[in-house]
Amino acid sequence: MNKCLITATLILIIGVKVFAQETFPVNGVKDSRKEIYYAFTNANIFIDYQTLVKNATLIIRDGKVEQAGAKVQIPKGAVVYDLKGKYIYPSFIDLYSDYGMPEVKAAQWSPNPQYERKSTGAVSWNQAIKADVKASGLFLPNDQKADELRKIGFGTVLTHQHDGIARGTGAFVTLGKGLENELVLEGEAAAFYSFNKGSSTQSFPSSLMGSIALLRQTYIDADWYKTNKGKIKEYNLSLDEWNRIQKFPQIFEANDKLNILRADKIAEEFKVQYIIKGGGDEYQRIAEIKATGAPLIVPITYPDVYDVEDPFDAQMVDLSQMKHWEMAPSNLYFLAKNQVPFAITAYGLNDKNAFLNNLKKAYERGISSAEILKALTYTPAQLIKQENKIGALKPGMIANFFISNDSLFADKFTIHENWIQGKQYIVQPAVTFDIRGDYDVNIGTGNVYVLKVSGEENALKASVQLLNDTTFKKDATISRKENLISIAFPVKEMNDSGIVRLSGNISYTSSIWDGKGQLSNGTWINWSAIKKSNYKTDSKKDSLSKKDTLIGQILYPFMAYGNTEIPKAEKILIKNATVWTLEEQGIIKSDVLINNGKIAAIGTFNAKDTIGAKVIDATGKHLTPGIIDEHSHIAISRGVNEGTQSNSAEVRISDVINSEDINIYRQLSGGVTAAQLLHGSANAIGGQSALIKLRWGLAPEQMKIQNTDGFIKFALGENVKQSNWGDRETIRFPQTRMGVEQVYYDAFTRAKEYKNEMEEYAKLPAKIKATKPSPRRDLELEAIVEILEKKRFISCHSYVQSEINMLMHVGDSMGFTVNTFTHILEGYKVADKMKKHGAGGSTFSDWWAYKFEVNDAIPFNASLMNAMGIVTAINSDDAEMGRRLNQEAAKSLKYGGMSEEDALRMVTLNPAKLLHLDKFTGSIKVGKDADVVLWSDHPLSIYAKVEKTFVDGVCYFDREKDALQRILVEQERSRIIQKMIQAKKAGEKTIKPELRKRRFFHCDTIGEEGSEEENMH
Amino acid sequence: MKSFKIITLCTLYFILCLINVFAQKPASIQEKSVLLTNATIHVGNGKVLSNAYVGFKNGVITSVGEGSAPAGFDEVINLEGKHIYPGFIAPNTTLGLREIDAVRATLDYAEVGNYNPNVRTQIAYNTDSKISPTLRFNGVLLAQITPRGGVISGTSSVMELEGWNWEDATLKADDGIHMNWPRMYRNTGWWAEPGHSEKNNEQEKAVQEIKSFFKEAKAYSELKTVKEKNLKFDAMKGLFDGTKQLYVSANTAKEILEVIHFKKEFDIAHVVIVGGTDAWLVTDALKENKIAVILNRVHSLPERTDDPIDLPFQLPYLLQKAGVLFCLNHDGDMEVMGTRNLPFNAGTAVTYGLSKEEALASITLNAAKILGIDTMVGSIEVGKHATLFVSTGDALDMKSNNLEYAFIRGKKLDLDNHQKQLYEKYKEKYGIK
Repeated sequence: MNKCLITATLILIIGVKVFAQETFPVNGVKDSRKEIYYAFTNANIFIDYQTLVKNATLIIRDGKVEQAGAKVQIPKGAVVYDLKGKYIYPSFIDLYSDYGMPEVKAAQWSPNPQYERKSTGAVSWNQAIKADVKASGLFLPNDQKADELRKIGFGTVLTHQHDGIARGTGAFVTLGKGLENELVLEGEAAAFYSFNKGSSTQSFPSSLMGSIALLRQTYIDADWYKTNKGKIKEYNLSLDEWNRIQKFPQIFEANDKLNILRADKIAEEFKVQYIIKGGGDEYQRIAEIKATGAPLIVPITYPDVYDVEDPFDAQMVDLSQMKHWEMAPSNLYFLAKNQVPFAITAYGLNDKNAFLNNLKKAYERGISSAEILKALTYTPAQLIKQENKIGALKPGMIANFFISNDSLFADKFTIHENWIQGKQYIVQPAVTFDIRGDYDVNIGTGNVYVLKVSGEENALKASVQLLNDTTFKKDATISRKENLISIAFPVKEMNDSGIVRLSGNISYTSSIWDGKGQLSNGTWINWSAIKKSNYKTDSKKDSLSKKDTLIGQILYPFMAYGNTEIPKAEKILIKNATVWTLEEQGIIKSDVLINNGKIAAIGTFNAKDTIGAKVIDATGKHLTPGIIDEHSHIAISRGVNEGTQSNSAEVRISDVINSEDINIYRQLSGGVTAAQLLHGSANAIGGQSALIKLRWGLAPEQMKIQNTDGFIKFALGENVKQSNWGDRETIRFPQTRMGVEQVYYDAFTRAKEYKNEMEEYAKLPAKIKATKPSPRRDLELEAIVEILEKKRFISCHSYVQSEINMLMHVGDSMGFTVNTFTHILEGYKVADKMKKHGAGGSTFSDWWAYKFEVNDAIPFNASLMNAMGIVTAINSDDAEMGRRLNQEAAKSLKYGGMSEEDALRMVTLNPAKLLHLDKFTGSIKVGKDADVVLWSDHPLSIYAKVEKTFVDGVCYFDREKDALQRILVEQERSRIIQKMIQAKKAGEKTIKPELRKRRFFHCDTIGEEGSEEENMH
Repeated sequence: MKSFKIITLCTLYFILCLINVFAQKPASIQEKSVLLTNATIHVGNGKVLSNAYVGFKNGVITSVGEGSAPAGFDEVINLEGKHIYPGFIAPNTTLGLREIDAVRATLDYAEVGNYNPNVRTQIAYNTDSKISPTLRFNGVLLAQITPRGGVISGTSSVMELEGWNWEDATLKADDGIHMNWPRMYRNTGWWAEPGHSEKNNEQEKAVQEIKSFFKEAKAYSELKTVKEKNLKFDAMKGLFDGTKQLYVSANTAKEILEVIHFKKEFDIAHVVIVGGTDAWLVTDALKENKIAVILNRVHSLPERTDDPIDLPFQLPYLLQKAGVLFCLNHDGDMEVMGTRNLPFNAGTAVTYGLSKEEALASITLNAAKILGIDTMVGSIEVGKHATLFVSTGDALDMKSNNLEYAFIRGKKLDLDNHQKQLYEKYKEKYGIK
């Protein structure tokens, strides 16, 4: 192998000087090769990904294709390569590369927050907006890296600096060796974006929703900047560049299936079309991804095999990880089958040599070779508008192609040479003839040795034995360089120990070798060898891996307890249940009919309405409205707090819903049908909530409750003033409850001014508008304006009475009502004031003593607030407690003697009211959504179990089915474990299982993931 | 030996109580004998007595039975239709060692350093914690006050949730040493941005370190005389002579198996597993080696995504079915204030397979057995302490858990607390009846 590298390097050195640019002075004489034709004859040529011409000729000159086809005349004076039986493919194109880019150092974590930017120049306020970066200005070719890619067939890459949320432009470069100026085909071929702030040391954004908010605001700012240029004082290089590079193809690094959907939503909002780089898991949400219409760039990185022979260790591997191991090679197949346009990238493969292997694995899963070729040639070229220049071998196109021994997915496919811009790069020299076989070797001492040459053509093995004494059998060493051969082996003549060393020529026919040699005593000899028989290839060792016919099904979501099909709404008659209507009827023994996702009838109904209904005998069982969790942090991706600013009203939980969280299913098993997913409590004004129904298996967008009022998180007290964040976090305003009030007055005052300014401007005549700068649209202030306009409502994390009182005063004086105080543990102290203000309360049943501000929290709080006529709810803020909210409500029977119906209302109808959902859910009433729960027992008893949970009439949790699911999970795991053990035996790389622990968010979980150790609620 | 200790303790107690005879709060010594009649008695050992009575004098139960009660009691309370339970026992808790989680000044449960067997909770236990009365309110009357942190956290004591001071409140001093078995998997990252869990490559080394410490401690315990005392090794002696228990926190199956080998290697008589997430996978080994489990909080989420969604709810049943001795505890997030929900954790265990009386035993008699205090408490039987309470309904269900009376060693407790006082105060403010 090393030898090949050296060969390649040697050949390259010759080529270096050939590269020259017009503007560059020449040291020496001009060495032009422009006039030289190269002809590649007798080859099987893929003119493009779908056109194979057999026995064809390719003519190139000056780095370009002149002609390719079957009936091509070879110009006089051409350098001719006879490629009989060999193949020519257009070289591959990779759109997602960091080739030749300087290394990006991830920001070192610092205990000190950094609220201001530290970048230099007249650039964006945020360090992660690097729209002014140009890859063409950073490009430094690296031949070692280039060689890694040339070896696997690539000829060009679109490279960019993988750093920041806006990353500037990428350069389209070849993998040749030479001056940057010749290698760069297109200085700016695309603009790049991502959700990751990269090397930015600035605190904002700390969460995924923060990154999305930053992108959104930057689109708006850039537009405002463009339309007002010359009228405003600010010069902003980043925005200038942002605007300029919009004309290029826009490429977004998403890296996983849900992020693809998120990126596409941004694209839709700002009317751009992203080409999205995925993570190889697209098959898990293929329908939604197809619906985006976005072309993709996908890696073919497959997980290593887990070492699962020890059953205890194997427990640490999730079913989702196991299934992905099994199904990842099928990803391309699913993309092609669903006609999703895609290009393939080698990015992410630490060992680039695995690329061709992985490509073959994909091929074996059913995708055609033409589709794979397309994704490596035509599609990437076309996505960056270079399809007329590259990606095929048509006249005038860049001469980037590789020569191989056989077709791409043939058994011993080998790339011999990769030609880039008309220059040859040797990868694995073609062996011109096969010398393997048996030879009689005469070394002039009278003995004849039989030399057996075997092994691979480029890694020969040899052994010798005496012709007339088969007991003498030794290993020999042999090496060959084209027509020169070297052999060494022990000989009998020298007491079995001396080694004879031979060097000589291979005759053209390869059947006769001869030359000089030296015995172990130094005597020079003449030697010769004659081939007796050819090497027999071991035909039974057909290593063609068997096609994997037994592959599991895709689950929605792709994990344990996912379904192979999305469950559907049914017509269901629940008979003879104890029905907690929570309406005027109270608790009744009755039948309930569910149809079309709604509660169709209660008690009496026409017999014909029940035709075709599935009947559930609910004798002795209780039917209640579905539980609604007013305060939840489940099903959120990468961060529940954007606590890096005191006001982050612009961030939206609805941007980061995670449909693949097992806690959705677990909550369903506790009867939860809907939840408010809240931003955390790290800052005074947090982000916008998402209201979801727990539609397990559906994609994030489909979980959202449509057409509802907006909600936003506010927070008071210790979290907001960073009391328990450590000694370094003491610089963000506010640090006291006094300051918290001012954050609110400031926000609402500015929001009012903003609203006025917008309205005033709108009224101006067009003539004046043309001379005046327009006010800048500010998403943060817009969210506050929405509160004032009663389009958005507040859920405020709160504990002590002073601050609760304070916020109500701010509300009364600024003109808004606090919709809900959540947690509200001292609500009982100001219940009369809350009642007067019109606020609801959503509290914990019995939490206290976890921080100073909850010292006076009492479990009687809910009962007292309820008795005062406040709409009172019990919430979880905790994935574990969320599935026992009925029990938490029941505690109010003990603490304060609440009535049973009122207690159940606190987790159903009351949260529905607080979330403005009570018109269609929260109680059992004809016409409302069929969000209902069937319990084995009295729903306020510790002994009650959920038997079935319906959301919109769809049974998303069924305890009987769950029992079956557990068996299926074990069976599926076992099946894949068996396969993994086989794969390990077959020599696949294994890794040790690691426990992928799910983290849970609480109110004040900071950073992108929650932890169990530190939560203060 | 054990009974001698109990007698000593009881004598000490009586002397102390004589001193405190005039006190109002906490409750004074039981002066008048009490008979509770016409109740359903949940004995704690699996039996239920209906229409039953229990009488106690001088803090000790003198009679228990069904039907007509004996005469000769100073005070007779008729409990028509109500229930009597042994006081619930909360093992493995930092009650009295921490008041407000976020306020460092109130935290006294984790000492600096890795090996602190000599550090004792008994003397740091705050009898005046505002949290204790809220636990009593729900029936938790006894607790094992347990240190945390390091490899060997320290020595626990079992306390009564009533007393003027820690001496009063002590039921069993220095009952055992608590150790955290090195975890095979550990979390990476820091708290705000944690990474994956990864295999702990230091685990083997950490285990070796523990073994060296135990070897030296054992060698020290066999010395006849020492010139220079080692307080740590002195504290360890009880493990080797069987007078102290060793509580080892371990969760995965392999960690538990390692602890079992460790027990054998050092010939430690009493080893209890604390945690036991995977205990259900190694029940045979636990039974064979007579190792009991103080089980993780029932109200927790499954450890792994693929686990059955209610596995933690089912664990008590799985251990019961396999015949492993276990009890429940409530350590973890918000453990102290949340311990008042211990009975409801037992209730959930009923929903997922245990009988009600088995669930009761898991927070009474079985807990007492595991902590080595079952000769004194844990069930309502003659000769045991009158540490019990009366609930108007099923005490394992929050819907009906409602204490009317509670007694610790016959002393009638004041069931009022800070929270109830605030409740009454604001009821009055708002004129709510």
